[in-house]
Amino acid sequence: MAGVLTGEGQRVSRAAADVVRAEAAAVPVPPAVRRAPGRREGLTAFLFLSPTLLVFVVFVVFPILFSFYLSFQQWNLFADDHAFVGLANYGAVFSDPEFWQVFWNTTVYTVATVPLNMVLALGVAVLLERRVRGKRLLRAAFFTPVVVSSVAAGVIWRWVFDPNLGLANVALTAVGLPAVDWTANAAAAMAALIIVGVWKTFGINMVLFAAGLSAIPSHYYEAAAIDGARSWSQFRHITLPLLAPTTLFVLVLSMIGSFQVFDVVFVLTRGGPLGATKVLVYYLYEHAFKFFDMGYASAVAYLLFAVLFVLTLVQVRAFRNRGAVAV
Amino acid sequence: MPPSLRRCAGLLALLLVGGCGGGADGPADGRTPVVFWHSFVSSTIPALDSLVARFEAEHPEIDLQPQYVPTGDALVQKLITAVRSNTAPDVSWIHADYLEDLVAADAIYPMAHFIEGPNGMSAEDLADIYPALLTYASYRGTLYSMPMEATNLGLLYNKDLFREVGLDPERPPQTWEELVSYSERLRLDRNGDGRYERIGFMVPVRPGTGPDGPWMVWQFQPFMMQAGTDHLVNEEQTRVLFADEPAVQALSLWERLFDLQNQRGFTNEYQSAFVSGQGAMMLDGPWSLPNYPRLLEGIDWGIAPLPAGPVRPATVVGGEYLAIFRQSAHPEAAWTFVKWVTQPEVQAFWSQRSGYLPIRASVTEVPEYRAYLETNPGLKAFVEQMAVARAQRPIEYSALEIQRELAIAIEQATVGTLDARTALARAAEASNAMLARADRTPPSPAPPETTAVTTARR
Amino acid sequence: MSAVTAHSARRAAGSAGNHLLLYTLALLTVAPFLWMVLTSFKDLQEIFSYPPTWWPERFTTDNYTDAFAAAPFGRFYFNSLFVAVVVTLGQLVTCSMAAYAFARMQFRGRDVLFYLFLGTMMVPAHVTMIPSFMILHWLGLIDSYGALILPGLASAFGTFLLRQFFLTLPKELEEAAFIDGCGRFRVLWQIILPLARPALATLAVFTFMGVFNDFLWALIVVNSQELYTVQLGLAIFRDRYSTEWGPLMAGSVAATLPILILFFVAQKHFIQGIALSGLKD
Repeated sequence: MAGVLTGEGQRVSRAAADVVRAEAAAVPVPPAVRRAPGRREGLTAFLFLSPTLLVFVVFVVFPILFSFYLSFQQWNLFADDHAFVGLANYGAVFSDPEFWQVFWNTTVYTVATVPLNMVLALGVAVLLERRVRGKRLLRAAFFTPVVVSSVAAGVIWRWVFDPNLGLANVALTAVGLPAVDWTANAAAAMAALIIVGVWKTFGINMVLFAAGLSAIPSHYYEAAAIDGARSWSQFRHITLPLLAPTTLFVLVLSMIGSFQVFDVVFVLTRGGPLGATKVLVYYLYEHAFKFFDMGYASAVAYLLFAVLFVLTLVQVRAFRNRGAVAV
Repeated sequence: MPPSLRRCAGLLALLLVGGCGGGADGPADGRTPVVFWHSFVSSTIPALDSLVARFEAEHPEIDLQPQYVPTGDALVQKLITAVRSNTAPDVSWIHADYLEDLVAADAIYPMAHFIEGPNGMSAEDLADIYPALLTYASYRGTLYSMPMEATNLGLLYNKDLFREVGLDPERPPQTWEELVSYSERLRLDRNGDGRYERIGFMVPVRPGTGPDGPWMVWQFQPFMMQAGTDHLVNEEQTRVLFADEPAVQALSLWERLFDLQNQRGFTNEYQSAFVSGQGAMMLDGPWSLPNYPRLLEGIDWGIAPLPAGPVRPATVVGGEYLAIFRQSAHPEAAWTFVKWVTQPEVQAFWSQRSGYLPIRASVTEVPEYRAYLETNPGLKAFVEQMAVARAQRPIEYSALEIQRELAIAIEQATVGTLDARTALARAAEASNAMLARADRTPPSPAPPETTAVTTARR
Repeated sequence: MSAVTAHSARRAAGSAGNHLLLYTLALLTVAPFLWMVLTSFKDLQEIFSYPPTWWPERFTTDNYTDAFAAAPFGRFYFNSLFVAVVVTLGQLVTCSMAAYAFARMQFRGRDVLFYLFLGTMMVPAHVTMIPSFMILHWLGLIDSYGALILPGLASAFGTFLLRQFFLTLPKELEEAAFIDGCGRFRVLWQIILPLARPALATLAVFTFMGVFNDFLWALIVVNSQELYTVQLGLAIFRDRYSTEWGPLMAGSVAATLPILILFFVAQKHFIQGIALSGLKD
């Protein structure tokens, strides 16, 4: 399908570019003719936005507002009886020790996954920037995990981390290391989750970094080469600063993604052993779809939203203070 | 409109037409459609197809439409959303754990509505169904569903491995102590690293799959029953019973077996452990039997009753239950199917093809079925074990949450570091608090007919 | 002279090191998936054998025939592809229109609206599922293609991505067209979109992937087996008692291939698309 789409697009685009070039040659554009946004621009904008707005109001805005309302309700999904309970759901969440354990687990997962993910993604992207044979193949290889559905990924990794039938322990013992109780040991299970989390998503970040890198004008590097800068200092003084907007984008996206991790947990550990890998969204899911307490689940969702909102603001501000990016 | 856009729109229209063409199949032939939700796995589907074919041959006026729903969480999620959106099926599999919510939402008919109706069911027929199954099919003494098939838990064991370590392959373990001593004989640590390449009895605690709540608790149940208590909760539904001595004994046994064989480093997949010869004894039900000739090719395997505990031999009964939804447009047609499937001949037919157990004792008197059992010792062992199969009293308040507490305790005592007594005491404390908070006002006003048929028959 | 050879020698060594590192990493990355592909061609005994084998010793396609015999996977495939294609095309249209408005038009409340869009990305999807379900129910769309398609017809991420891309395009191209009397729509259609091909390819890949791989939403809104997607179909190999590993692996491999191919075909535009969008404001 995409083949058809892009093939079509290619032809159209060449034609359009020709038209534009011809017109540009024929009529030089005086800056004064710039179209001033008139009265009707608001209406046009509305027309352009309306399909998106329609879908958004119905399937995003309303559900979000409705679940906000729900977070102040005692609401059993099955029985359909509900009552206003004020902040009771939030209070119950805060006083549930499991919530704090789950919050801690999620933090550990995020703090481990995000940097690992970004270093790996950036490293691979930088190496792929150089002259490398089989770039297309390599890129596809690194992107494969992103494409694999979480259902399939669960099938694969359940087998890999099986304590005595799995590849992970076969590999460890083959190189003389002790086998690991991947499923029964809390720390090992979290490690397994982090490995799968990084595996599943670093391909996206690699692509984003690759894009950012290719946007850095090559004359920066040429100038540095004349100055005799070595590759590490080039990376340190040219690549990293110029890549800052991409890095911020990747950081924010990965952090939101890690804090909302669900699929990997659902297919791999189901929160076990003993709740060691239970994360926030899984906890939310359990309350919403296993115990049918939508009010409580909505309160958890809004707490998660608040955390993400604050973290994003902090990150954006940190980057802005270093003058790296204007948002 | 540029040509490329037109082509695009044409393609879209084509896809839309193509897509919508095959979706709906209306009952244009005048037959009554009955939508039946189930979660049979793919290996049972051929058996189900033959069951449906037989039903439709006997009832040509009904178009039975089985629809597969993924099991576990998915089934209950779909039931909720379906009931809420008025798209419930006519008849569906349900689990006893969901009855509380389904009844509270007044989503399903009490069975008395049909049993006492024009196309009713005789008291003898009803009495022929194993009482344990009817217990699970009921909520607070009122029958809300009908069992479609029965299961229980037996012991799947590998006779080759028994021979290898000098155990008599025709004498599976008879007691808890033998279960432990056999496991000690069968466990094998080839390289001395403290992890066993082979174990005896595999305790069904699977940390890699999370606290698989109700399922793990169900497998724990027979051990409690063997130690003397059938129930997780007292009759008044005010106190859980799993901190009492029998449950402590049962969990201590699991804890001992788990540690003895260092199951922390053992696989979570019980079938793969058995097939690969790494586990010699497993808790297992009859549902996989149709697969075993192929899956266990080359292994000399057998099914034995569970070893007896300190008090008595026992196993837990299970099954799948059919409920008829109030939103159904054809409840009588749905009932025709439900009633049909409980008939002895149909049960014999279904059991032979699916591997499930019949829901009534008299099926074993169907000659054809009796002959079949003689050629299938595995199924026969399960059928015979129905004699000691018991049911637990359904938990009427916060059933899912309480079972989760027990599941956590089981995990803490095996995978974790707590001892059985402490873990169970903690779980009981949390559960009792939930029971104390329970809203004990009766559910939605029950129609008068619901009180008529009860399963309290002791 | 000697300095140059030393330099190129160092470069050659560096390049060899590069290749070694990259190919090792790539192999590690695909190994688990590759292993699933290989396992899907093993018979049951071999799948469960210990120690695990790498290459199938007795090559068989039974798992595939079993998988496709167990359920109408052809139908499931059609559903997955149909829904993914329609949602992808729909998003390309809605997102490019919205993105163009955000990138080029002046109207009151534009920036506020835009940041609200971005904010919706932070709300976990699970919490909006039930209200969305209720709306579809009110619309009478439960258990229909509409339920699978409609909620996906707009996307904050897609709007964001395309807006960033449009911002990088020089305004002069459009101005020439305005002088010719073109309206906003023709400009978007004839000038912007052809140039935005890479960004559109990027969005297409992401959207297609997300829809094709979705499980939970499809599970909730679809009842009839005629409407099942591939990911739902795979659940039939698993119940609370046991898992049928052979067909499950075969089905998973078959479910992954279309997107893998899509990515391979589209990857050139895909990466370029993200590159050109610049990711900055």
